[in-house]
Amino acid sequence: MAQAVAPQVFTRRASGLVRVMSPYSAFIYNILTMGIIFPWTYVWAPTAFQGSNLVLGIGFAFLFELPIALAYVWLATALPRSGGDYVFQSRVFGGGFGFTVVFAFFVVWILQWVALSGWLLAVLGFAPTLIGLGVSMENQTLINWGANVASANGIIVVSVLNALVSLVLLVSGFRNYVRFQYLMWYAILASFGVMLLLFFTTNPGEATGRLNEFALGAGGVPDFFQTAKAAAADAGVNFNPPFWLFGTLMVAPIAWTSLQWATYSVEQGGEIKNAHVFRNQFFIIVGSLIATAGLLILLAIAMGVGIGQDGILVASSGYWYGVGEATIAGTFLMPNMIAIGLTTSPILIAVIGIGYILNSFQIVCNCYIGTTRIMVAQGLDGLLPDWFARIHPKWKTPVNAHIAYFLAAIPVIVAYNKYSEWVRWTLGVTFANGAVMTLSALAAALLPYRAAKLYEASPGAKYRLGNTPAVTLIGALGFLFGAFMVGSFLFVKDLGLAFSNDAFPYYIVAGTAAFGLIVYWIMRTLKAQKGIRVEYAFAEIPPE
Amino acid sequence: MPFWKKGGSGGDPTRLFYACDIHGSEPTYRKFLNAAKFYDVDALIFGGDLMGKLLIPIVREAGGTWRARLQGQDHHITSDEQMAEFRKILQTLGFYWQEMDPEEYLEYEGKQDRIDDLFDVLAKERLAGWIALAEERLGGTHVKVYLCGGNDDTDEVLSALEEVPGDRVVNAENRVVPLDDEHVVVTIGYSTPTPWETPRERTDPEIGEAIEKIMADVPDPSRAVFNFHCPPLDSSLDTCLKLDASVWPPTPVIENGQPVYYGAGSQSVADALASRQPTVGLHGHIHESRGMTSYGRTPAYNPGSEYGEGVLRGLIVAIRGGEVIGHQFTSG
Repeated sequence: MAQAVAPQVFTRRASGLVRVMSPYSAFIYNILTMGIIFPWTYVWAPTAFQGSNLVLGIGFAFLFELPIALAYVWLATALPRSGGDYVFQSRVFGGGFGFTVVFAFFVVWILQWVALSGWLLAVLGFAPTLIGLGVSMENQTLINWGANVASANGIIVVSVLNALVSLVLLVSGFRNYVRFQYLMWYAILASFGVMLLLFFTTNPGEATGRLNEFALGAGGVPDFFQTAKAAAADAGVNFNPPFWLFGTLMVAPIAWTSLQWATYSVEQGGEIKNAHVFRNQFFIIVGSLIATAGLLILLAIAMGVGIGQDGILVASSGYWYGVGEATIAGTFLMPNMIAIGLTTSPILIAVIGIGYILNSFQIVCNCYIGTTRIMVAQGLDGLLPDWFARIHPKWKTPVNAHIAYFLAAIPVIVAYNKYSEWVRWTLGVTFANGAVMTLSALAAALLPYRAAKLYEASPGAKYRLGNTPAVTLIGALGFLFGAFMVGSFLFVKDLGLAFSNDAFPYYIVAGTAAFGLIVYWIMRTLKAQKGIRVEYAFAEIPPE
Repeated sequence: MPFWKKGGSGGDPTRLFYACDIHGSEPTYRKFLNAAKFYDVDALIFGGDLMGKLLIPIVREAGGTWRARLQGQDHHITSDEQMAEFRKILQTLGFYWQEMDPEEYLEYEGKQDRIDDLFDVLAKERLAGWIALAEERLGGTHVKVYLCGGNDDTDEVLSALEEVPGDRVVNAENRVVPLDDEHVVVTIGYSTPTPWETPRERTDPEIGEAIEKIMADVPDPSRAVFNFHCPPLDSSLDTCLKLDASVWPPTPVIENGQPVYYGAGSQSVADALASRQPTVGLHGHIHESRGMTSYGRTPAYNPGSEYGEGVLRGLIVAIRGGEVIGHQFTSG
């Protein structure tokens, strides 16, 4: 041995593996999906849980979601495939369970989100923007348009167009969406920045005056805020509530309806570049969670500075108690609507409005993206007809699944906006979606035991706490926290299924689960008749 | 002789398991062999690309330790246990290794011809071992395994298929071989040109000529299983990143900040599927393009590949009377 050398790898010429979406794009995707525009934490929690602390509540939601998000990092690196939650649960729990849960509670229930995204676009995007521009430019036509777009028929039209434009964009190529996503990202950042600036540079006294002027310009009463506050008090709002720790804890499930989507990028895991790399998934999932939680907390602080607790409670009373006096031109005082009311600049109003409009549009896009990838994965596993799994040869997208989902969403959009009972029937949406993520956290905890070879080959396998795989402890913790929040949706009156004091919403949830199970059974039977066992899709072959 | 022909109309379907692109990965190949019993199939069909992509020199250091570089990191191996673990990782990844002194390493460094020769020696050894393992594991069963090369495999390495010692391994390379009483397997391992200049690339017209030539030996195309490594062009089974071949190594083509994707398959394969209407088209080559499509009555599949993670992606197909009556993608 004459000398030491630093050996390099010897290569021959061969093809390489490649993927599509960059980790940064996936990070953005998750932030947009979590919806820093979602208003519920600010307009639902304050009056539903009077005495709660929004900042602390969002903080709790972050802490509860953190182990769930970490558990997903392990899952996403061990199984970097499209159809994420379905793939995780079917490989750990088995196909029947994984299919039923993810098909029923994601694919079916996210149809409600398609309708909701249209509602967001109309009520949170177009209406405040048009009303704001109308008031600032003294243009009654714009104000009327703003009011009309938030009517039931207006929302239906906007929702269907929203879903249709999204369908065309996504069918034409995922790359087109990824490009457009940058526009949505920069638009919402600008919008959010302007809102924070307006709130932080205002105080509650000034805000009252500006909102009164704004409401008057939109056809409201001269002393709008004082009138709204009095009506809110009559409706039961306590403007000096003592701090309520349990109420603050109950803010967490509401904020979780945003933060739980930090993991949603896993549904297109097969299209994310280097999705198997641990630090990439950490950045995509945990990074986006931290960023979004930070922005939500910042907005809560900013609103406290800008309009004070009274302003937050007045805005919330309009949404949660249905206090008509606490709306402007029939539109709820969502955070962006309030921010628009604080300025007379049409440019600032347009910046806020465009960001909210584009982020609302992103919500319907992510509904499609996630669910169609799940349907493709289920189609490839033989649990949905092959038709759903077909990728268009020219556009390279699951066109059939997209079209099917669009068509399925139309009646849901109409029902959501036309039939008052629909909202009561579908109170289970928060429970259903949360249950999927909670069960995936459990799947992560069991991964080393239920899919040992797969786990051992994953990059997260090297992390252990004593003799226990780290993912088992983190997943178990995530499951407990998730179960707490999902349990809240089940049993706490102001949070979900228990709201209407009857069993029907529970039956709907059970019915969707039964529907998923029936689809599984039918497909399994049909496959068996053709000499195929669908269980093979989930089984790991021993190498020895 | 059974009353019904195996695979014939009215009889039991022939169930085959198809996988491809395992690129030297030992655990993935072992899973492939075990798939016969695990999935209860009648035949194992491999779709090409047996050879691994990297060779890791493990260089002896002073004091009896070893040094190697893997995935961008230096590894210092100081015990037999560490060496066994390191070899196991290399086996999973499908890489070859050679233990050598520094002088020997320097004799290879920068000499591509010598490196390629060493690749061939090690790959052929591994393939010969795999053939023997198949004979051992499938011995006493009715299951046969059909092996062939892909565009990544050199002719020198594939010559191991000419020396099959038993009757369980079928050399399917560029041949028509019987599958059951009614169907045949038609195999072509070439691909269209890639930016990586792999050993068995052919122009699309050349692939077309190869198909024409081999089809002369097929009595009934409707009873043929096309085992063509290269997928049909623009079929959704062939979507991959577009690479700039003007630089080495080729780099992704980026437009407007996003990578560009395109179909890298063969028009000749697409034409053959459309015009010949075989029982089924089985394809590989593009690892990330798992999926299915159809040409008239003929379904075509690419199960994709994740060999580097030790995952065997595959496909079970049940055929009877010249028709696919069921299929199931697997990932085990």
